Amino acid sequence: MQHRKLIGYIGSLLLALLFLCPRVSAQTDPTGEWDNRFHEDEPERIPGPEIGDYLGIPINDAARLRADTWTATLLELPENQCRPHPSDYSWRGPALLRIWKDIDPATQDVIAYHTHISWQAPEQTIWMDGRPHPPDYAPHTWQGFSTGKWEGDILAITTDHLKEGWMRRNGIPRSDRSTVSTHIMRHGNYLTVAVVIYDPAYLTEPFIRTTDFAYNPQQRMAPYPCEAVNEGGRPEGVVPAHLPGTNSFLTEFPANFGIPPEAARGGAETMYPEYIAKMKNMKTLPRPNGKHSDR
Amino acid sequence: MTRTMPQTRNAKLRGVTGALLVILSVAIAYAQPGYPQGNSDRGSSAAAQTNAPQAASPSEVHVMHVQGKVYVIVGAGGNITAQVGDDGVLLVDSGLVSMSDKVVAAVRSITDKPIRYIINTHIHPDHVGGNEAISQQGSTIAGGNVVGDIGASASQGATIVAFQSILDRMSAQDGKDKAPQKAWPTDTYDGPEKKLFFNGEAIEVIHEPFAHTDGDSIVFFRRSDVVSTGDILTLAGYPIIDVERGGTIQGIIHGLNRLVYQITIPAEKQEGGTMVIPGHGRICDQADVVYYQEMVIIIRDRIQAMIDKGMTVDEVKEAKPTRDYDPLYASKGFWNPDKFVATIYQNLKDQHEKDQHPKAQQ
Amino acid sequence: MKADRTLRKISGVGGLATFALVILLANAGVNARSQAAGGAAQTPGAPTPRALAPLDLTGYWVSVVTEDWRFRMIVPDKGDYSSVPLNPEGRKVLNSWDPAKDQSEGNQCRSYGAAGLLRIPGRLHIQWENDSTLRVDTDSGSQTRLLHFAAANPPVQAPQWQGYSLVSWEGLRPPPPRTALQDASQVNSPEGYLKAITTHMKPGYLRKNGVPYSANAVLEEYFDSFKELNGDVWLVVTSVVTDPEYLTQPFITSTHFKKLPSASGWDPTPCRANEPR
Repeated sequence: MQHRKLIGYIGSLLLALLFLCPRVSAQTDPTGEWDNRFHEDEPERIPGPEIGDYLGIPINDAARLRADTWTATLLELPENQCRPHPSDYSWRGPALLRIWKDIDPATQDVIAYHTHISWQAPEQTIWMDGRPHPPDYAPHTWQGFSTGKWEGDILAITTDHLKEGWMRRNGIPRSDRSTVSTHIMRHGNYLTVAVVIYDPAYLTEPFIRTTDFAYNPQQRMAPYPCEAVNEGGRPEGVVPAHLPGTNSFLTEFPANFGIPPEAARGGAETMYPEYIAKMKNMKTLPRPNGKHSDR
Repeated sequence: MTRTMPQTRNAKLRGVTGALLVILSVAIAYAQPGYPQGNSDRGSSAAAQTNAPQAASPSEVHVMHVQGKVYVIVGAGGNITAQVGDDGVLLVDSGLVSMSDKVVAAVRSITDKPIRYIINTHIHPDHVGGNEAISQQGSTIAGGNVVGDIGASASQGATIVAFQSILDRMSAQDGKDKAPQKAWPTDTYDGPEKKLFFNGEAIEVIHEPFAHTDGDSIVFFRRSDVVSTGDILTLAGYPIIDVERGGTIQGIIHGLNRLVYQITIPAEKQEGGTMVIPGHGRICDQADVVYYQEMVIIIRDRIQAMIDKGMTVDEVKEAKPTRDYDPLYASKGFWNPDKFVATIYQNLKDQHEKDQHPKAQQ
Repeated sequence: MKADRTLRKISGVGGLATFALVILLANAGVNARSQAAGGAAQTPGAPTPRALAPLDLTGYWVSVVTEDWRFRMIVPDKGDYSSVPLNPEGRKVLNSWDPAKDQSEGNQCRSYGAAGLLRIPGRLHIQWENDSTLRVDTDSGSQTRLLHFAAANPPVQAPQWQGYSLVSWEGLRPPPPRTALQDASQVNSPEGYLKAITTHMKPGYLRKNGVPYSANAVLEEYFDSFKELNGDVWLVVTSVVTDPEYLTQPFITSTHFKKLPSASGWDPTPCRANEPR
């Protein structure tokens, strides 16, 4: 009888302990359906950036020339029509986001996270199981090879083995030599994704952008098949491009918005507050049609 | 004794209860605040290096499966393609002479089947250096009157396939490409292509005239859907135009165009599908070839425009028409951007001359 | 028999009492943590918000303007509200923007209010004002925001440009144990971020060209920090402005700052109605 009493106490203690045990893996779960929010850079991200707008990107001269000589006509070529956004840019594009995870059934550890973007339907895999990155001679892909780990409640991802891509959709390249660092932060129904690009070929310092999403469990994504077609008129082997120094469209953007053309050329210093004072000594171009700013 | 037994059992239960109380105390302590304060060092660059990409060591050879029956062997000079199956092994190129043993060891890591074929994409030593040593470790399937005439040695050594000009250069007594006889191609072609069927798939050996050299072959494995390009495509640098051996920029562009428009077909979203093994550099696909093709054509167009303006070769070099691609492809070695630009300049001038005076070229 | 029944009753009651005692003790620990994390008056002896901080937001930070450049590094054109989900009433107010009038009427700080302040390029200095208040100074506009962990001083004062900010550490958890997939060198960090709710703001501007927010706007912010591959430390502030008077939906932006080793470059400016900072 006495030991039954004691068993009762022990049972109560065990039951209480169950209420107290914390979850072993407590990081914030980024999975779900996420609706993009274009409350920053909407003109650039939806209709597209202006030709010659290199503001706020720490590009070097080589990148500048690539962009100066780029033409959107290049995207008409059948071999370029179905390119998806690479994984460093796809968060920015006009697209919805889905994140899901693979779980090891035995250990319940997350093996990988996956992302799917609605535009062109690229999917990125983020390996959480500590596997090494492939060797230099392995193929590069649009989404690259990604591994992730938790830093507190922030999912930190390192991506390499990317195909050449773009930092802005007006010809500013992101080379295939790049490493991309991504941090995903969830706050309830909001997701913020910070992407930092390290490009030894085209950047003078790392380039960061942060993009926001809102949880939308009712979101539905349509499939996005793509088949290249020959829209005719251009022989094979002709590559549309501006010759250096001949792109006459480069000054339209700074003129339209009252920005010094020198600033529009971009570079690291254009990212910092000190540049505001420097711009005071720069000339701007006349506004088209004589329009002047009301400011 | 009766009184002792319940007391002993109760003592044990009290002991267990006491232990559980200790556990409970620890649990409550764990639920209390006071864990270490976070700091701005959240994240560690050291941890980020744990999964750093592996670079191939310069003296090591590595094998990677590409697709279907095709593998690539890297690190032996130029990339070597290995097609492997029940019929044996077919190699595209044989690497540097000094790496032959390692190449054979790499093949043996995949299969113990004999090496039956070596196909040379062009004559340079980093692609044909292993011809003799590696072919001698292989064997050819021979029979009929060939064996009757030659004897058992007809089967000795793998068949070496190449465009005719490679044999001409290797066998020329006073040529700078003179090579030991056992390194010479044993099966040549001089038309647009040679066809093989091996390990259950059709293989096209396609001649690309006057590209990297005058003896280039592109090798296309139709069922594995892999193409070996030789040095018409080298992701590691600007394409080398070996003028002394008949190379031209026009041929390079023609070869790249052939890869883009006729041979490679991507799977979904411009990725995968036909896999491409370049002469040097990583395994790639059509999208990577397109980037490279566009680069070569754009640079050619720039130089042509400067020629049309009457600029001299030095003026063209000074204008640096490759400077936006130099971070990706420029070499500090002999094939630097100035050399690349000057060669294209001369090729274009020579082509213009030919076009203007076709009869004079005959 | 009667003694046995009594004993059974007592053991049943005792078991329940033990269970209840344990839960009460545990909740006492949880309550102490949440009080210290913010959102309720501090009880003596409980760890302070400063002691509980899972990340270090203090120091000097500089804006790195890689997004919305032409809306932040220059005063954008009048009437340009690209990217902002402004409703017709908001557009009416936008189109009546008059910076000279704002300056002359003493409203030159209107674009430096809490809902738009961090979007103005400049430097921040974040420090602990005391163990339960974070202070954020900006050199642009020379503004100060106080982020209060405890509601010891409830917002009964008149609206201010910076409003009243109540903050809490959210998602606080100690570092999780290493999983089988992590190698032995990995050190897990504690979890948590700073959440701020700001109300009682005077009507202000989301942008320098008069994109408005009303006195009823609520500003919700999340402060995170992480270290990059190259050692740079970043602060990311995700802001959500809810203002049914002028906005069709919550306006969400994320602003990033790089940590600086010192105050070098600190360049205080006064409020100016028609300058970018």
